[in-house]
Amino acid sequence: MKEHLKECLRNFFIIVTCINVAMFVLGSILAPDQRFGYEAFVYPIFYAALASIPTFFVSAKRVLSVKQLLFREVLGMIIVMALLFVVMFGGRPITHEIIIIAVSVAVSVVVIFAAVNAITWILDSKTAQDMTADLKALQENAGVEE
Amino acid sequence: MTSTDKVMDLEVSVIAADKNEYVKIGCHEVDERIGEIVRFVKLRQGNIEGIREGEKYSVPIRDIYYIESVDDKTFLYMKGGVYESGRRLYDLEEVMEPYHFVRISKSIIVNLMKVVSIKPALNGRFVCKLRNGEEVIISRKYVPDVKKKLKGESV
Repeated sequence: MKEHLKECLRNFFIIVTCINVAMFVLGSILAPDQRFGYEAFVYPIFYAALASIPTFFVSAKRVLSVKQLLFREVLGMIIVMALLFVVMFGGRPITHEIIIIAVSVAVSVVVIFAAVNAITWILDSKTAQDMTADLKALQENAGVEE
Repeated sequence: MTSTDKVMDLEVSVIAADKNEYVKIGCHEVDERIGEIVRFVKLRQGNIEGIREGEKYSVPIRDIYYIESVDDKTFLYMKGGVYESGRRLYDLEEVMEPYHFVRISKSIIVNLMKVVSIKPALNGRFVCKLRNGEEVIISRKYVPDVKKKLKGESV
């Protein structure tokens, strides 16, 4: 549970950062003259919390293979996208402008999803390298030949 | 009085250095109690009992790649095939600890001496590539224990 919580928190902060970047890029392109109040600082935190919900509550009882986990992650991403659309556009009529924003948001979610996984992969690669180095040392001490 | 209640005489004798050491058991029947003693002696010699096609074999622990529990059965994965063990995974985890085995998920104990490399998987998990080409996953929950074990610390 502790490890799961740490993982969720790490992902949450990476998502907050990515959403900040996405808001800057999308805002600069779609509405460069838009001005916000202080509440704008809360949006990345709110949307990151929303995006973290599937990861926080979904925990497999058995060990999933990499393919199965990837499938679950993609499914989680689609759920997050649906949640965002409901929160952002729920009850509003579908206009040309909303479609453009929705497509931009969808693209951003995919990019953020890829970025989060790429960043965690890089961090985990370093851990894996350290673990492999410790493994080699342990095997050498135990007299195991390659 | 049942056979498990019976008290065995115990005799230890010192033999000449040029002769092979041995353990000899005299019993009325080979029951569970005797089986337990035999398993213990084999384990002390680095062997464990494995069952394959109904036959019992003495399997060298250092040749085991990993041990997996599937549907309440425990399997020993070796280069030459798979053996079933009558023991539970948690029991084997304790027994195998001095032989560089470590629990990597709810259902797998791996022999660290048979691991070639460790690579990241998704979501804070890692994949161990074994010398036989197989891959087993280290669950996020067990990563700290594996790290400790790799540093030579007890888990």
